[in-house]
Amino acid sequence: MSNEKMTPVEIITGYTGPKLRIMEVCGTHTHEIFRLGIRRLLPPQVELISGPGCPVCVTPVGFIDEAVMLALEYHATICTFGDLVRVPGTKMSLAGARAEGGKIQVVYAPMDAVEYAKEHPDEQVVFLAVGFETTTPANALAVKKAKEAGITNFSLLTANKTMPMAYQALKGSADVFLYPGHVNAITGTALCEHLAEEGVSGVVAGFTAKELVAALAVAIKKGGEGKPFFANAYPRVVKPEGSPEAQKLVDDMMEACDSEWRGLGEIPGSGMKLKAAYADYDARVKFNLPEVKGRSNPACRCGEVLQGKCKPSDCKVFGKGCTPEHPIGACMVSGEGACSAYYQYGGIEL
Amino acid sequence: MCVGLSAKVIKVQNGTAVVDAFGAKREVSADLLTDLEPGDFVMVHAGVAIAKITDDDDAETDALMEELLG
Amino acid sequence: MMNSKTVTLAHGAGGKQTSELIDRVFKAHFANPSLTADDAAVLTPPVGKMAMTTDGFIVSPSFFPGGNIGKLSICGTVNDLACMGAKPKYLSCAFVIEEGFPMEKLEEIAAAMEKTAKEAGVEIVSGDTKVAGKGQVDGVFITTTGVGEILPGVETSGYLAKPGDAIIVTGDVGRHGCTILLERENFGIDADVTSDCAPLWGTVEAVLNTTKDVHVIRDATRGGVGTVLYEIAGQSNVGIVLDSAKVPVQPQVKGVCGMLGLEPLYLACEGRLVIFAPKEQAAAIVEALRKEKYSENAAIIGEVTDQHPGKVVMTTEIGAKTILPQPGGELLPRIC
Repeated sequence: MSNEKMTPVEIITGYTGPKLRIMEVCGTHTHEIFRLGIRRLLPPQVELISGPGCPVCVTPVGFIDEAVMLALEYHATICTFGDLVRVPGTKMSLAGARAEGGKIQVVYAPMDAVEYAKEHPDEQVVFLAVGFETTTPANALAVKKAKEAGITNFSLLTANKTMPMAYQALKGSADVFLYPGHVNAITGTALCEHLAEEGVSGVVAGFTAKELVAALAVAIKKGGEGKPFFANAYPRVVKPEGSPEAQKLVDDMMEACDSEWRGLGEIPGSGMKLKAAYADYDARVKFNLPEVKGRSNPACRCGEVLQGKCKPSDCKVFGKGCTPEHPIGACMVSGEGACSAYYQYGGIEL
Repeated sequence: MCVGLSAKVIKVQNGTAVVDAFGAKREVSADLLTDLEPGDFVMVHAGVAIAKITDDDDAETDALMEELLG
Repeated sequence: MMNSKTVTLAHGAGGKQTSELIDRVFKAHFANPSLTADDAAVLTPPVGKMAMTTDGFIVSPSFFPGGNIGKLSICGTVNDLACMGAKPKYLSCAFVIEEGFPMEKLEEIAAAMEKTAKEAGVEIVSGDTKVAGKGQVDGVFITTTGVGEILPGVETSGYLAKPGDAIIVTGDVGRHGCTILLERENFGIDADVTSDCAPLWGTVEAVLNTTKDVHVIRDATRGGVGTVLYEIAGQSNVGIVLDSAKVPVQPQVKGVCGMLGLEPLYLACEGRLVIFAPKEQAAAIVEALRKEKYSENAAIIGEVTDQHPGKVVMTTEIGAKTILPQPGGELLPRIC
């Protein structure tokens, strides 16, 4: 393979090296990989594993139950990203709560929820703050702006998560990680470089077809050589230092907490919540919510899917009881959930 | 895990920027980026400009491929 | 004289106010020899085969860039007839109006219906008006029923797609759905998008004047072009290969979809047809379509195969193949 003019697609399809397991950590990558048909280009010895990087998929059942409770029992207006609307809770989803008269408002951005609160001073507005490092600054900013504007009928129900602990938990489940470029845009690349020193290889990947295919080609070529490595294949967006402004904002306003991941269980220090100085904007404090323990459907294997321990098709309810129209687990709800992607794009040989 | 959108900045004022993606315009927060100017390209996520970027150009990915794979 | 500024329950009670409403709003706009005060219209039957269809329209908001519910209610039914190769002849319309609906808006809706019906060459021959209490309906709901005359020698149906057919779309997709989404939801996105809502008999006639060898014509409404492709693949038990790069999408629609994480192929159109015809006819059909005002951007977007029946397979921008996910469920903007 001395030909330097090989295209990324040729590098991927022409790979003849040893068996290679690549985990795309980010759900948007999972979705794009399916949408572009990349899986069908892979030689048999390259396996792509879908990781836990979909905030909807890792949000525990109890969080949905809390939101439903806020909507129906506390009559709060729930503002949310569209993704969460159909995620099943113990008894019902937010779509179910809406059908029972709960006020559920889909917004594009957390700031829009603040705007909504300003325009509806007689409603208590709660924004469902899910997401990883990329999304957390937007949540923090919303609180900051609300506080500055003296808006008091706005709060966050937080389920924000951070990746470092998850990387530790996932060590060994893949030979090369495709890192989520938009997380790295905030956090920078220091952690990933450090992981390479510990023997965990990875490539920061972008999201356009060309960027994603290029990152995968790097992962395959360098991964096949067997030496631990780190590469940033998304320098257009990701700088080594990340976004110091975003890091400072989040550090000022939020602090680490233990957090439950659907499927992975409680991971110490893997969540983010508002600091005590912002308690007025923390829905759990503001409404004095009781502790909620959700119960997921016992047949659902989303947990193992998220860890790459089983394929969606190994799950008994996959495609039978559990479909995108009637999801049982969160991985079937989100467009970027592994189960949804397998269900919608899988199926037939082409 | 995060849908990002690259868009062109067309207006900047008081911590916000109006960005344009193929003619779809939206006001986003510019709090995380200092000295943003009209004409810059940014990556937008959940209504916040999270990074200043270079325009999505193929040449750059090509150059990168040369460097990483060459 | 009717002085009311809004529609009241009295306007639906069948008495004097009802007559005033009908005279002032509906007769003023829909008048034609077939529309009388009798209980039913008396009509001359068409010479050949006849097509008949009905459709209910609820759209929030009732007014949107590019049209209103009145225009929509004519286009929807006229286009369903056109898809069967039927020249629209007669239409009936039934209104359910919410108490308090502004009279001025109702007149605007009726005026749009008049204009659109005239363009489509269809006569409104029968109507009905009911007024529902505040909150029982949202603004105004309209149901239209249409009758058309099928052109001799034409047979189109969703069951008739055959391997070797080319698939043509008559214009850029997703505009109506995108327009309504931006108007209805408060996403703070500003884009110059207008609904593609249009009566398409002229478009169909141009195709049929070129060739009668057309297998399927379907208008892509709810669920968009993606849904139509799956419907036809299922009905005709054939496979479809879609070249995603060939599907025309307006840049603004692409931008909005990029922001909200939506797929234009699943967004509703109200002025777009998907046409299946033998490959040999495709170039001539596209050429004829491009001369018509509602189909200047017509394009061949794929073809029918005997492989993978019931499925739509897409060639992606990197040249690989993948399944087009089957559309379903509520369209929700996503962050991830």
